[in-house]
Amino acid sequence: MIEVKDLRKVFKNGEIEVEALKGVSYTINDGEFVAIMGPSGSGKSTMMHLLGCLDQATSGKYFLAGTDVGKLDDNQLAIIRNEQVGFVFQQFNLLARTSISKNVEVPMIYKGVSRKERKRRAEEMLAQVGLAHRMDHNPNEISGGQKQRVAIARALVNNPDLILADEPTGNLDTKTGDEIMGLFQELNDQGHTIVIVTHEPPIAKQAKRIINLRDGLISSDEVIA
Amino acid sequence: MIFETFRIAINGLRTNKLRTFLSMLGIIIGVGAVIAIVSIGSSAREEVTVQISSLGSDLLWVTPGFSAGRATRMESDPRENFTLNIIQYIDDYSPGVTNVVPEVSGSVQLRRGDNTLNSTAVGTSQDFTTVNIYYPERGRFIDQDDLDQSRNSVVLGSNVASELFSDGDPIGQRIRLNYQGRNINFTVVGVMEPKGQGIMGNLDRRVYIPVTTFTDKLSRQNFVDLYYAQFSPGFSSQEARNQIDYFFFQHLGDENLYNIMSQDQILGVLDQVTGTLSLMLGGIAGISLLVGGIGIMNIMLVSVTERTKEIGIRKALGAKKRNILGQFLLESLALSSIGGFIGIGLGYLGTYLVTRIGNWPLVLSPIAVILAFGFSLAIGLFFGIYPAVKAARLDPVDSLSYE
Ligand SMILES: Nc1ncnc2c1ncn2[C@@H]1O[C@H](COP(=O)(O)OP(=O)(O)O)[C@@H](O)[C@H]1O
Ligand SMILES: [Mg+2]
Repeated sequence: MIEVKDLRKVFKNGEIEVEALKGVSYTINDGEFVAIMGPSGSGKSTMMHLLGCLDQATSGKYFLAGTDVGKLDDNQLAIIRNEQVGFVFQQFNLLARTSISKNVEVPMIYKGVSRKERKRRAEEMLAQVGLAHRMDHNPNEISGGQKQRVAIARALVNNPDLILADEPTGNLDTKTGDEIMGLFQELNDQGHTIVIVTHEPPIAKQAKRIINLRDGLISSDEVIA
Repeated sequence: MIFETFRIAINGLRTNKLRTFLSMLGIIIGVGAVIAIVSIGSSAREEVTVQISSLGSDLLWVTPGFSAGRATRMESDPRENFTLNIIQYIDDYSPGVTNVVPEVSGSVQLRRGDNTLNSTAVGTSQDFTTVNIYYPERGRFIDQDDLDQSRNSVVLGSNVASELFSDGDPIGQRIRLNYQGRNINFTVVGVMEPKGQGIMGNLDRRVYIPVTTFTDKLSRQNFVDLYYAQFSPGFSSQEARNQIDYFFFQHLGDENLYNIMSQDQILGVLDQVTGTLSLMLGGIAGISLLVGGIGIMNIMLVSVTERTKEIGIRKALGAKKRNILGQFLLESLALSSIGGFIGIGLGYLGTYLVTRIGNWPLVLSPIAVILAFGFSLAIGLFFGIYPAVKAARLDPVDSLSYE
């Protein structure tokens, strides 16, 4: 369960201060499928970075599965990113010159999973996203949709409860984007909590709840299914 | 985990082979230089040691010294107390030494018919051969009669013999010695075996005459350049030395008028010289290792910057600071240790070639290998720390958005 209370994030670049989040509060229960929408610069990515424990809020509270994230040190944040959160990016962010199965293995390396088990599990995850036959290819040898599938397999490999995806279909054509959304739908059906950022209404409509951000504040929050 | 980190590090290096190699160059050269310098140094030392030992074993040298009080008197020759007649006394009063050999030498020109040859005439006694383990090949060496009667007998070094008598047996032949403008005829009584280059010069290019002939007819002064002696069986170098020292002090009354040197002392001096030299050259090699380390740091900093995005991705996937730190540290360690290995290979190759050319014994120094390799590892670690810490401290969000 995610509980966010009056979350603020201020970026300081010398004298200039940008308040990306100006105090947001909401709760996301386990098993929800939430789309975060809003115009460019409204604070969506900042929100995702905080939820994914890649960054810490300037003020406010964030509880993830009952843990006060604000009180964690770098090491503990790394463990949460490794085990409790799976991140999917618009740019795919696969490691270049590294086979896709090795890419999927990365989170398991940092978890300390044995070599054999890593191989087995990477295979299993790639099969689940329909890429078992591409295991030994490098990322530059597969399509964008396939890259995003690899990224999803990688996000899932340590079996996190929460999947965060920042504009996962932003670099894909509509058809491929729909396929990726189908994958998220499946994962949600399996019980994963999913939060995706998008500015495409048709994509957002596939979620069960839409949170709208505007200028660092929540402008609307509605359940649609 | 360590193993995985190591694999990641090696893969990082493999992606840019040429740059990896170039950045290792400093370490390669540094390690190679250390190995080569130390090994060539010990090989050269070994060679000189063999030469000194081949001068004969268990030897003491007594040479003239300068007294502080007499140094101003230019007309006095420091050798003037080194007369021939004290040899008998040395033998009598110092049971610790036997075979006291006098030696006095000077440049001469040899002439036989139209052939001339520049050489060194050495005046010595019959014990010369035993002490130096250097014997005539044909004929005989100087004997007691030659000495007693100051005969004009000469024994030729092997080169002198072959150059002056390419056409036949020199024994019994006459040659003319020119010493400081004076011509004296000598009869060849023997030819020495080839001995080659010694620490005192090429022995094969010298001629040997009775020391009494030298002092009576060549130098016309009754003193010699030096004495040397073997210490008697059952006496240590120190005992023999003390006895000689006592004798000369009693005889001359001034410890500054003579110097006593033993073979182990000469080896000691040699050790000091080669040690200082090795230290100096080792210092230079050390500096090039340091430069190599800076090269590694430089390339690691570039690598960290280039791979900012990768670092961001790894952090997003759960890499802790220490994982990233370990990855880059291992990468610089791998750089420096691979460089170290190549350097050891090159250093050995260089040593091998130099010792082959100089025809020296090959002495590979395992300590130098361990030292150089350990040093290059330490440098990899030391100069890898800063870039690795920099990588580990990168902010995940910032590095993810780095293009
Ligand atoms: N590292 C940063 N430094 C300064 N300002 C930032 C930084 N990251 C984001 N911002 C600012 O915060 C605001 C929100 O950014 P972001 O969360 O990326 O918006 P969105 O993802 O909705 O487009 C923007 O005005 C952006 O310029
Ligand atoms: Mg964004």
